[in-house]
This record gives sequence, structure tokens and C-alpha cells, in this order.
Amino acid sequence: MGLRRMLAVWAAKITEKISVHIFHRQGVTWAGKIALRICPSVLKELSGQVRKGVFIVCGTNGKTTTNNMLCAALEAEGNKVVCNHTGSNMLNGVVAAFVLGAGNSGRLDADYACIEVDEASTRRVVPHFKPDYMVLTNLFRDQLDRYGEIDITMNILKEVMGSAPEMTVIVNGDDALSAFLAMESGNRYITYGISEQVVDDNGSQEIREGRFCKRCGAPLAYKFYHYSQLGDYACTECDFRRPDIQFDASEVEVGDRLAFKVEGRSIAADYKGFYNVYNILAAYTAGRTAGLELAHFNEMLEKFNPENGRMEKFQIGGTGVILNLAKNPAGFNQNISAVMQDTSRKDIIIVINDNAQDGTDVSWLWDVDFDRFKEDDVDSVTVSGIRCHDMGLRLKYTDIPNTIQADVENAICERLENGCGNLYVLVNYTALFSTRNVLKRLEGEK
Amino acid sequence: MDKKDMKLTIGHLYPDLLNLYGDRGNIACMMKRCGWRGIEAQTVEFNTGDEIDFQELDIVLLGGGSDREQRIVCKNLLAIREQFKEYVEDNGVVIAVCGGYQLLGKYYKTDEGPIEGLGLVDIYTEQGEGRLIDNIVLESSVCEMPVVGFENHGGRTFINDNTPFGKVLYGAGNDGESGYEGVVYKNVIGTYLHGPLLPKNPQVCDWLIQKALERRYGATELEPLDDSREKEANGYIYHRFVKQ
Repeated sequence: MGLRRMLAVWAAKITEKISVHIFHRQGVTWAGKIALRICPSVLKELSGQVRKGVFIVCGTNGKTTTNNMLCAALEAEGNKVVCNHTGSNMLNGVVAAFVLGAGNSGRLDADYACIEVDEASTRRVVPHFKPDYMVLTNLFRDQLDRYGEIDITMNILKEVMGSAPEMTVIVNGDDALSAFLAMESGNRYITYGISEQVVDDNGSQEIREGRFCKRCGAPLAYKFYHYSQLGDYACTECDFRRPDIQFDASEVEVGDRLAFKVEGRSIAADYKGFYNVYNILAAYTAGRTAGLELAHFNEMLEKFNPENGRMEKFQIGGTGVILNLAKNPAGFNQNISAVMQDTSRKDIIIVINDNAQDGTDVSWLWDVDFDRFKEDDVDSVTVSGIRCHDMGLRLKYTDIPNTIQADVENAICERLENGCGNLYVLVNYTALFSTRNVLKRLEGEK
Repeated sequence: MDKKDMKLTIGHLYPDLLNLYGDRGNIACMMKRCGWRGIEAQTVEFNTGDEIDFQELDIVLLGGGSDREQRIVCKNLLAIREQFKEYVEDNGVVIAVCGGYQLLGKYYKTDEGPIEGLGLVDIYTEQGEGRLIDNIVLESSVCEMPVVGFENHGGRTFINDNTPFGKVLYGAGNDGESGYEGVVYKNVIGTYLHGPLLPKNPQVCDWLIQKALERRYGATELEPLDDSREKEANGYIYHRFVKQ
């Protein structure tokens, strides 16, 4: 068995090198596929060699950031960690993280594994190995053409929790859908959340999932909302309510930077976006649940740079550019909030593709609240990508003037030349890689 | 009658449950296209349990939801079935999308048992093998432009002798076999197209507005609007999937 595993590891490493150097593309999923073909038990064997604990991170939004942050937090305490940093989160990507992390002997030298897993793929991944912890960040509508309704995703996660009864679930208690799954699973669960009202979101027209109790079907009543359906809820009929929060963030500040207190400790980070409070809190809770002191958590946050198109900064000539992924209504609304926290003048480019990985159905654009781009400090909005016409029309019906420029590079160059020097580029999934490449190249040239 | 004195009320039924596929876009489209012409329009949302006075309404929108949510809506709908039927027979305008379209019919037979429908139109739906998910293009008798959108449904709808909303040029349609999509009955359109339906199909939106104005105010001409953006978006889908 050891020989087979070693062969699988070698083949994967060679595949990855070839695809990166010859085809100039990420060969991570190919590497995983080949390794699994050569040694079907490779994931089970390698994950079994992880010394202290295996985490999987699931949820519609925040998976990649939370997972990479958790990895950095564990490393900051002196641990060796295996992680699928690139966000390849289906079975082949998960396998690749382990085989590419293994040594040439086919053995893995790791204290922890941090693996983000696509919710729909958990069913295929979890039978291969036994995670000790599952972090469940949130559940929002996303790619209805691919995943179907949220109910289907919830059924998959329920099945996965049931198949791993020893696994501790670390759950966002502010999300009634995620919390319900954890509470009903029978697994041990640990909650994180925010018990104080931070922003006034009650009047928002935002689409909110799960307005009805998953246990009995009656409407849920909310004391307040943070955003989307996240907030403090209780069923109007049965005794289902927001669980007690063990890792409760207080004195939360959301502005140009983020700050909050948890367990009496002050946590601060130089990021924007309310959603990042949840990402940080999830990573913190996961580390603490695994028994770590996390003494270097703030230092880690200071150095943490996602470098993957999540609020990634570029400087091109005189223009500061911020690239951010926004791929579903909840994520997009949060992005808009984060962009509008910058009150200086700005240009905005929105890039929307409809490739298979994005979801071929773009109807979700109509569930995003673009109205806030009407503020005076928005100098211009340009729409780009394969479905730029749909995006342009979406804005027309919200009275936001916009320019259509299907080619992303042209759209960016035009704004670099004639824009105000402060450019935000919001992109969905497949647009992220092409746009990031363009920005990196332009940053190198100028 | 001057357009300035005309007023339309759009009733959005059960947005708390049926809000899956960008229905807000259909509402925004109707509101704007009235507003740009100086026709006053308002939207009233009716959530589950709310009382509905159909006499106040000019256009009813019934959107899409999951099967589970449709089951909850169904209970509420049966209580208003008689008034809804009167409204439809009195040429009331209805746009029903996805799950809403299925609810117009007699029943929707699912693997988990039947969901009773409103029986407003003589059609029925049965759950089929797999879901029909793709972009879709139609040729419709209600307008000159092709109708474009996105479909995502597990149900197969059978419309008996009723008029279809359109002939399928690309995509699956009602049942994946007949070559037709949706239904038109009096001033009711039922369709699987979302994306949402109306912004990229402004002539369908105007058909609904026109019918609603005619019903309340008698014959009237709709002022043409600058639809270049709408036509571009419509044309992109048409050329990508139908005409090379």
C-alpha cells in the first residue's frame, strides 16, 4: 500500500509541475485526479497521518478566507498545516492538497489539515476521511442551477454530519439554517456569533433565506438582523431559537477597519466588510475549539494577506485598484457595503460571467441591492464580462447609468486612463482569475 | 384619458415564500416601464395570511419557490381560489413564473405526493426524471421580439388544448418534448422563464401593461420607449443560442 501511495504522490507532483510550467495553468485538480486513480485510498491514508486534527470548512460564503486564516492561525502557533489554499474544493482539489503536501516518501508531515470543501462535494469527500471538526459558516442562495434549492444543500450536509458522529461542528449561531443543522445533528457543536446589534439592517429590502422555522414551518421572529438572514431569531411557534453563543463577539466596530472583543481579548484587523468579522471569528473559534491558546492571533491577522482576489490591492500607475470576488446575492450585498465604506470618489467595474463554475443562470443579479451605487461618490460604473448586457440592464432598472465594455482588459485600461484613481473591480468566480491576471500584468508593466 | 391620470396596482403574491429567481426584476421592470410613460404604478406585497382584495389589482405576479415552499403557499392559495378565479375570468392580468405557473393548474404531482393547484387554467404538472436547466429562447405570439430567459424545473407541464406562450427555439419548454413553452389564457401568462422574464423581454412587459390599462381604462396606446439596452441583451442570448 505504501508503494502505491508513493507512486500516487510522485505522479501528482509531476502532473502539477507539467501543467503549471507547460500549460501555465493550475494543475491542482488534475494532480488530485491522477493520484486518486493510482491509489484510491490515498486520501484516507494521508489524512490518517495528520497528527493533531483535521478541519473541513463549509458554507456558502467565506470558506476560502476562513480556511486560509485558520491555517495561518495554526501555523502562527508553530504547527505544520496542510491546506487547499487555492480554493480547489471538490474531491480532486482536496486530494491534491494532501498529495502535494506529502514528501517524496509518500508520507505527510503535518500537525493539522485545513480543507475547505464545496457543500455539494462533502458527500463525496467525507467518506474518504474522518474530519475532527467541520466549520459551517453560513447558507445563502447560490448557483441555483447547480446546487438546486438551499433545501437540497441542507439535506446533503445533514447526511454528512450523520455519517461522522465524532465530528465537532463549529457553527455560525446567527444563521438559523446552519444552526438548525448543527442542533439537530446529534453531533457536538460549538457556536460563534454576535449578540449585539451592530448596524441597523431591519429596513433593508435584502432577500433573506429561511424566514420559516425549519423545525415546524412557522415564521421566525427576529430581534435584529446583521445582514441577510443573519441575526437573533426565535420561532414564533415552537422552541427553536438562536442557540447560546459560546464565542460571542462584542464591541464590534465595522468601518475602515474591523475590531471586536471575544473571550475578553481584543481582536483587530485592517480589513473592510462586516462579513470579515464572521470569517475571523470562525477561524478563532475553530482554533480555540481545537484547544489552542492562539496567543499570536492578532500578529497573524496583521500579516495575513489573502492574495486571492478577496479585497486584493493593486497599484497601477496612479490608480489604486481593489479586486473583490462577489458571486451570490449575500456576498455581493456585503461587498457593496464594504465598497461604500470608502467614502472617497471611486470608479466601479462589475464583471459577470456565466460559465459552468459561475452558474449559468444569472437571475441572481436581480436579488442584489445595487441602489447604493447611486451615491455621489461613485464616479462611474462599467459593466463587463460574458453577461455584461444583463448586468447593464440590471443597473438601468435601478437608474444607475453605466457603460458596457465586454472585454475586461479594455474596461480596466479605460478606467486607468480616464478614471479618478480609485478603482474597485467586483467579479464573479471565473472572472476572478482572468481579471486578476490582467491586473497583475498591468501592475508589473507600469 | 391622459396617461397622467392612469394608475395601475401590481399585486405581488407571497414574496415571503416565492422569491427564488429574481422576481424582483419583473416587478422593477413593470414599475419602471409604467413610470417612464407617466403612468402611476404601485406594488402591494401580500405575504402568507394577508387578505387580498382582487378588485384593487391590475396585474398579479406569482413567482417561483422551492417545492417545499410551494406546498405552504398552496394552503394559502386555496382560501383565495374563488376570488382569484373571478379575477382571471374578468380578464385580470396575471404573470405566473416557475412554481407560480405550476400553481395555476389543477395539480402538481410530485414524488412526495400531489400539490393541489388553483385550477385557474386547465393544465397540470407532473414531476419528471431530472431537472430541465438551461437558457431558453421562444418565438411568442404576444410579441415580435424573441422571448429569452432561463428555465430550471423538475415538473413537466401539460397544457391540453390551451395556447402556449411560445414555440421553443432553444431549450426544453413545458415538458421537454412538445416543443412548446408556457401557457396564455385570457390575460394570464404562465411560464417557466425567469432570469427574470420581463427586463430582457420588454414587449412581454408592455403586453401585460397594455392589457391591464385596457381592462381598467379602455383602449389605449403605449408610448414607445428607448429599448436599445433591452434589445441588446435579448439579442445576445438569441444569437448565442439560436442564430449563429
